[in-house]
Amino acid sequence: MSSTTAPSGLSRARRGLAPGGSGAAPGRKSKLSAQTTRTFFWLLLPSVVLLVLIHGYPLIHAAVQATHDGDLLQTGNFVGGENFANVLSSPAFWKAAQFTLWFTIVGVFGSWLVGLGLALLLRTKIPAGNTFKVLLLLPWVVPIVVSSTAWNWLVATPDSLIPSIFRGLGLGTPLFLADPTLASITVMVFKVWVSFPFMMMMISAALASVDTTVYEAASMDGASPWQQFTQITLPLIARSTYISWILMTIFCVNDFPTIYLLTGGGPVSATTSLVVLAYRTVFQDFATGPGVAIAFLMTMTLVVISVILYRQIRKSSVE
Amino acid sequence: MSAVLHAHPESGPALGITDTGKNRRVLSEAGMRGRWWRFALILAITVIVLVPIMVTVVLAFTPGVNSTATGLTFENLANVFNGTLAATWLQNSLVTTLSTVVVSVAVAAPAGYVLSRGRSKAVSGYSLLLFVMQSLPIITSVVPLFILFAGMGLVDNLLGITIIYVGSTMTVATWMMAAYFDSIPISLEEASWIDGCSVFGSFTKVVLRNSLPGILSTAIFAFLLAWNDYLVAIVFLRSNEIFTLPMGVQSFFQQNATDWTSVMALAVVMMLPPIIVFATLNKYFSVGGIGGSLAGR
Repeated sequence: MSSTTAPSGLSRARRGLAPGGSGAAPGRKSKLSAQTTRTFFWLLLPSVVLLVLIHGYPLIHAAVQATHDGDLLQTGNFVGGENFANVLSSPAFWKAAQFTLWFTIVGVFGSWLVGLGLALLLRTKIPAGNTFKVLLLLPWVVPIVVSSTAWNWLVATPDSLIPSIFRGLGLGTPLFLADPTLASITVMVFKVWVSFPFMMMMISAALASVDTTVYEAASMDGASPWQQFTQITLPLIARSTYISWILMTIFCVNDFPTIYLLTGGGPVSATTSLVVLAYRTVFQDFATGPGVAIAFLMTMTLVVISVILYRQIRKSSVE
Repeated sequence: MSAVLHAHPESGPALGITDTGKNRRVLSEAGMRGRWWRFALILAITVIVLVPIMVTVVLAFTPGVNSTATGLTFENLANVFNGTLAATWLQNSLVTTLSTVVVSVAVAAPAGYVLSRGRSKAVSGYSLLLFVMQSLPIITSVVPLFILFAGMGLVDNLLGITIIYVGSTMTVATWMMAAYFDSIPISLEEASWIDGCSVFGSFTKVVLRNSLPGILSTAIFAFLLAWNDYLVAIVFLRSNEIFTLPMGVQSFFQQNATDWTSVMALAVVMMLPPIIVFATLNKYFSVGGIGGSLAGR
């Protein structure tokens, strides 16, 4: 299956052709390698320095802060696991974790379904199909600060455009951002709106490498459209789908602006995700220890998840 | 769904001619009708999806509450640039974003080359490290960095946020560069080595010279990330004249009654650069950065 997609072709080229790789001539390899290693070191150095400064150091410092009772100015006293215990026993944390989970599930599968539907639709012959393809990427390209402003204008107050339309249709006046349940749904719909173009691009790219004669052959053999979809299309986009789910999960769990700019985490705390909770705890309640502890718990979870997923992706690309 | 799939046989490779040549009249009546149904469907979807963006543009050029102008007007834009620090915010955003793009590519390209060509355990370990780091919530590093930068005078400072942007784009940028370098055959480099070129020499003269598309996609990724960032800006920027555009747009909401037409005018200013970049460099716009590089490696 993977041999039909261009990307795996690239990685095959890479495996065969890289210097010092199994394909390289053994004699020249040893002569090159001392010089090569030194060059590689210098080429990698700036990247390593930045990684340590922006990711490594803060992670260690965060571990220190999470175990102290300080604020933004002082580290404070060592309190061991107290912050973690407090966080794990607070209802606010579990409420935020629950919202994050729903937000992620809806964000990932909602945007995938919409993206898949549009990718399949745009793949057929449609007048001006390419124009639509480009226009539909706009929600992903436009900054969240801009689109959240527009969404706010559309739904925020009872007199906004969309509630007015509902009223005009005799459907009452929904309070899209003031009712806890409705606000959660609105934030998730907004997330799907922002993210579906990403899924559409991923799936379109995977579909583009598929030879359409496969479908002709299948329909000659009497395969129904549904069979063609489940037996041909889905397996062909499986790898892209898998990767896009992983990435979208990471995007959703770490998302801050989509939620914060639309609802600020409210009403009350109905749309407070873990990131928003961590931000509020540190920068609004000035409780650095617990706030960092929340972020740290997320971090640990994501490290474990991403290492496992990284292995899986690597494994699937070797197939 | 079934209409979509029925269409596959007719959208086979041979059909490329249909639009240009008139020699192919095999398309059935039903097939043609299907095309226009799908056109109507996708048109309706696109219009609905783009409502928030259209609303932004329309409001930006609609006369404000206290305005005497009629029809469409550039008044809001003029007001925003005269009455607020919009010009400064725009400049701040441009400076931080462009610096991020340049430095990020300059750091990621050499590192990506090592990831692409290196075979050792250390290199693949570093690759894993980059993947893990990019998946972590930026909020975790923001707090310690805030404390570190406060001591160095880098809070409320454009250099400070630029450093963080470079750090946070670098992981994915490195992956993207590596994915592109993978597609450049090593035989090109081997030829230059035989001519006495060093590894560094072949990297700059052979690999980089042939990597413009890869560099552009990486640059677009870094551009979008830095331009669109809100979390780092809200934590690190405090004073009005240091704000970047996202903070500038948000500053309108701190007043009691939001001046919608002004906000939208500034919002249009803010969404224009990404759209221009996207429109001109469309073909280098890879799938959301790491998506494409993961799929490609």
